Amino acid sequence: MIQEPGPRPTEIALERGLAERLELRVGDTVRLGAAPDSMTRLAVVAAIYEPRPDPAELSRQGKRVRMHLPDLAALLDAPDRVDRFGIGLAPGVTAESAAAALNRYAFGFRAHPSAAIASESSQTFKVVSRFHRAIGFITIVASAVFLLCIMLLKVEERRMDAAVMRFVGVRRRTIFGALVLEAALVSVLGSILGAGLAWLAGAATNSYYRRYFDTELIFSLITPRIVLFSVCLSLLLGLAAGALAAWRLVRTPPMVLWGRA
Amino acid sequence: MTGLGWGLRNLGRHPLRTALALAGIAVAAAMLLDMVMLSGGIEKSFSELLLARGYHIRITPKGTFPFDTEAAIPRATGLVRALRAEPGVRAAGAVLGTSVYGRTADSLVTLVGYGVQPEAQGLYLVTAGADLGPGDTLGVLLSEPAARLLHAGVGDTVALAGRLDPQMAQASTDRRLAVRGVVRWIYDSRGQPSVGTVLPVMQRLDGRAAADPASLLLVKATDDRSVATLAAHLRERFPELAVNSVADLVVEAKRRLVYFTQLSYVLGGMSLVVAVLLVGTLLTITVNERLGEIATLRAIGVGRGTIVRQVLAEGAALTVVGGGAGILLGLVTAEYLDAILTSFPGLPQAFSFFVPRANTLAVAAAVLLLTGSLAGLYPAWLASKAPIAATLRAEAT
Repeated sequence: MIQEPGPRPTEIALERGLAERLELRVGDTVRLGAAPDSMTRLAVVAAIYEPRPDPAELSRQGKRVRMHLPDLAALLDAPDRVDRFGIGLAPGVTAESAAAALNRYAFGFRAHPSAAIASESSQTFKVVSRFHRAIGFITIVASAVFLLCIMLLKVEERRMDAAVMRFVGVRRRTIFGALVLEAALVSVLGSILGAGLAWLAGAATNSYYRRYFDTELIFSLITPRIVLFSVCLSLLLGLAAGALAAWRLVRTPPMVLWGRA
Repeated sequence: MTGLGWGLRNLGRHPLRTALALAGIAVAAAMLLDMVMLSGGIEKSFSELLLARGYHIRITPKGTFPFDTEAAIPRATGLVRALRAEPGVRAAGAVLGTSVYGRTADSLVTLVGYGVQPEAQGLYLVTAGADLGPGDTLGVLLSEPAARLLHAGVGDTVALAGRLDPQMAQASTDRRLAVRGVVRWIYDSRGQPSVGTVLPVMQRLDGRAAADPASLLLVKATDDRSVATLAAHLRERFPELAVNSVADLVVEAKRRLVYFTQLSYVLGGMSLVVAVLLVGTLLTITVNERLGEIATLRAIGVGRGTIVRQVLAEGAALTVVGGGAGILLGLVTAEYLDAILTSFPGLPQAFSFFVPRANTLAVAAAVLLLTGSLAGLYPAWLASKAPIAATLRAEAT
């Protein structure tokens, strides 16, 4: 006996997170509807997919299910309706000129080059980036003051050594150079240690947020350029602070440094 | 001379190092204040925004939050009637949000359209002209940006269109409406051109009048204390809908903005560490430099307690002066940082991330003072333990 093929079952693809939440596997049947009181359409899970990591989707609570366009239109009772079209262009045609040509006759729709949409949807990240830069600036100011203060104290701690060196005939320039060199060394070693700490903190940040948001996105990225910037900045500040403190020290009479003036 | 007097005098002996320490503490305190404001500001600002018109509960399609998706609740008028009949409900109203188009001289401009029930609305405040009446099907309310875009003011007539058909190149619905008033839509982002009509007019413009849809329903409880109970009751009564109190929505907003809250904790903690290290290092070096002086004081009968108080007072003085400057600096930087974050696309104009509050300032100041003072504990202990005879002998040689 030959059986007539029935209507094609609705096939759906589930986002991995949704499949895990609902404990569904490929081949399972689910009930779909546009509202909780109209869950009438049966659908078979044909695939489970991993969504592409997208920062714009991080805080999205809803999970996605994909299906063929006619199935979704029938489910929503909105035949022949779409939210947007994607258009592939012939070689040599620019997206801007095609969008402009379409918009000349547009009524009820608007054409946008993909780059413009990408730029618009990245506004959020531009704001976050500006915020990070502002916070970074404040942090650098705080670190700079901290470093200046510590270097000043560090050099001033060498008052007695400087006094003894002056008594035995060591030249001011030599003492100044030694103190500045010491400040530079401390700055560089400190900043290298700081880069190590930052690397550890970045790894912890990535590990925590990747688990929290269930994503493969990178949240904290320490590049060689950032490390170089940090080391150079701290070296510069260390040299400045060391030079200032050393200059004050070598100008002070040795007896005063010795505390007997 | 008191411990504080000695402490201040000692700080004055090294003006450069004291100035640098104060600057460091001020920046750390500013950062701490900003982060304390950020951690609580999101919750407070969002909560105030949602309660701006006194509506405690939002009802949306199941699984959604207000205006998160285009999903709508069907048969809204009947639902509102049922809600108003519920015990514990003082007022209830429906809102439909959709896109509409305004006709200007030679083109169409895209507008955000709100269909409201003016007798129970929680979305706007009238700034000029008058509000819509409950059955006013000929009137419209405009936001300032919409008024500018349509070149219209109170008393003018505007033409609105909905559901444009690209194939027929015409709008399926068209209405000419009189501008009754200019309003401030509470949840609109900066520059958002919005218009509002009574619910049935917006439903017709949207082309879905038959389904009687609404994007959300607003409910005001008779008593602030009964909101949680009322929300639970409505969840049971309407299981096909999502019922969220303001507290639920604040929790959701915090979940979405968790990054900023956690960032505030991390940076606030780091600011405290910087302040503690600065005060601790400065005082330790100062104490080491003054061991001879401290030993002399001990030798002439000054007690350990006085020495400890002196060192702690020095740390507290540094923290108080630096922290005071830091609070002023923090208020300025908070305004700048808030201006950056509130430029998020789509964020309500009235939303603020950094909300200065008396208790926020008090918490930041108290935490800073406490940690700054505690930072002096180690150097104070060093000072009190200094061996008198050995130190004096070393000083003499």
